[in-house]
Amino acid sequence: MKLFDIPLTWFEKFASKWESDGVKFSVYTFIAILFGGLFELIPPFFLSRTVVPIATVTPYTALELAGRDVYQKEGCNNCHTQMIRPFKWEVDRFDPQKAYGRDGYSKAGESQYEHPFLWGSKRTGPDLAHESQIQPSEDWQRRHLINPRETSPGSIMPAYPWLFEKDATVDAESIRKHMEGLIVVGVPYTQKDLDSVESSVQGKTDGDALVAYLLRLGKDTANLVKTIK
Amino acid sequence: MTTTTKYNDTIVKGFVISALVWGVASMLVGVWIAFQLVYPELNFNQPYFSFGRLRPLHTNAAIFGFALSVIFATAYYMIQRLTRVRIWSDKLANIHFWLYNLTIALAAITLPLGYNQSKEYAELEWPLDILIVVWFVIFLVNFFTTIAIREEKQMYAALWFYIASFVTVPLLFIVNNLSIPVGLTKSYSIFSGVYDANIQWWYGHNAVAFVLTTPFLGLMYYFFPKHIKQPIYSHRLSIIHFWSLIFVYIWAGPHHLLYSPIPDWLQTTGMVFSIMLWMPSWGGMLNGFLTLTQAKEKIKTDAILKMMLVGITFYGMSTFEGPLLSIRMISSLGHNTDWIVGHVHSGTLGWVGMMSFAAIYYMVPRLWNTNLFSEKLANTHFWLATLGILLYIVSMWVSGITEGAMWRAVDDKGFLLYPNWVAITEVLKPFRFFRGVAGALYLTGLFVMIYNIVKTIRTAGSGFKEIDLRVQEGATK
Repeated sequence: MKLFDIPLTWFEKFASKWESDGVKFSVYTFIAILFGGLFELIPPFFLSRTVVPIATVTPYTALELAGRDVYQKEGCNNCHTQMIRPFKWEVDRFDPQKAYGRDGYSKAGESQYEHPFLWGSKRTGPDLAHESQIQPSEDWQRRHLINPRETSPGSIMPAYPWLFEKDATVDAESIRKHMEGLIVVGVPYTQKDLDSVESSVQGKTDGDALVAYLLRLGKDTANLVKTIK
Repeated sequence: MTTTTKYNDTIVKGFVISALVWGVASMLVGVWIAFQLVYPELNFNQPYFSFGRLRPLHTNAAIFGFALSVIFATAYYMIQRLTRVRIWSDKLANIHFWLYNLTIALAAITLPLGYNQSKEYAELEWPLDILIVVWFVIFLVNFFTTIAIREEKQMYAALWFYIASFVTVPLLFIVNNLSIPVGLTKSYSIFSGVYDANIQWWYGHNAVAFVLTTPFLGLMYYFFPKHIKQPIYSHRLSIIHFWSLIFVYIWAGPHHLLYSPIPDWLQTTGMVFSIMLWMPSWGGMLNGFLTLTQAKEKIKTDAILKMMLVGITFYGMSTFEGPLLSIRMISSLGHNTDWIVGHVHSGTLGWVGMMSFAAIYYMVPRLWNTNLFSEKLANTHFWLATLGILLYIVSMWVSGITEGAMWRAVDDKGFLLYPNWVAITEVLKPFRFFRGVAGALYLTGLFVMIYNIVKTIRTAGSGFKEIDLRVQEGATK
């Protein structure tokens, strides 16, 4: 026990001094909490292998981005994850068509343009990372959002009929602003993308946009596999 | 009373009341959305009441409405007594109080409207984030100036834990909330994908550490010895576990992202430090328990002490469960399931809730200079809360492990046994129903407490007299 006591006594001697010096104490506390933060937050930005870009992954179109905004607004990420872990049972469940070849799990490159990330932390409903390949029917997605119990009896998902009401239209001006904001944080939208916002969201409801977003999820990487074949 | 003139207790009273108000709000929404997961029609077909919008309201009201109110109430109460000076500025304290409550009220309005930035426990949009920074800085100035002008040279252990929280939380909050506004109600995080996830869970995990753990340890270190009139068991243990706790906790964030595409070394670091965290956490628990052994004969009669005992027990349990769940193999089963929900609530309802109630029962009679209306009702509250937590975590354990096991089950040909998602959801319904019942029990306990405290405040000024319940019990027999 004596061996154990020596470093403790040594440390206690220092720490006890700080107890009567408010400034010193606060500064040392701050230093203690900085270590972990610095070690974990800074290096990933400088390691090129943190995110390996995937050739086919491109930014969302205006309508898809509007749908992503709706997804965030309704808090879909509270019940649906977008993160398929590298386990047989997850890959089998969320890539039943084998659209991703042998690697049907989530990769860093897939969320390159995700501001913020929407991986979620609770899977009350199924994972949606590859939704476009699991349920590609636009009609099904629409009916499911209007009344989940119609397409999936027993589902506990709330119904979202109001997203498809006539007055729930997508506002082109704000989507344009959103895209301009995303350019600032590094999403490579072009002038052409910005110019086509108006025509792309014209007359669309929030529901249409959400369906467009869901049918985009996982499409990029599935396309990659097709080009390899 | 000399103490009422010397110290500013009005600010403490204010935060005690706001703790009760936001406590009811958050738990009411919690019970409501718990039942929504069994009966989805309970959103009454209103966009504002759907699970996705109410869930952030529940967590924000619980963490930043209830827990933070308790933290501020106890911080103002304790700092004046531990430094032996009045809080530096009454005016700043008042501004802090009103701006803080304004923020939470605005959160309660904007979250159901769907204005959120989708980061867990950091959902509030940028105008509210700025408001938070404003009142937090006001509070910090007041708090640290009070420390600077203190008359008691030695800073007692309870104070360390509050200081650690108040220097860390701004760093976490600001870095994680860096975003580009694209409108008054919408912003995008400046970080993307993997980087964003890493920073979010560095924040998310340390919100648990520096909002829900360290201030409540500080609370324990002050109110516990005060209440039993015995010193804390070991000062040396306080020193060792304080410094190791704050040093180790900050590394553990990546355990929320195991098996995700964040770098492997990062996941392993998070996992290793999470396991190491077990020891400093239990250091605090042991110091609590060992202190309790000095007054164990009081447990039978004293509701405050019972609450502290259960609180510390749940602290020990959930800080055992945490490192366990951060082990890759266990995470593969538990991650994304109800088990995690149960784990979080064993910490919040068990540790944070119970310690908060104990502190409020301790402070209210002293603040309003009267005696608690009914010790019996406090006991009823204790039992309702304890049964509520137990039912909650047991139903979530069963639900979560069932869920994880059904997701991964394959037959002898290697095909998924339960490919239909809704079939799994159906199995979980009864457990989720009992979770709702458990939450309702806990909430009922809170209502009992509020009735008790309202009755107590009605007799304000009648003079607080400390009663040793053991003596009283003996006398009435």
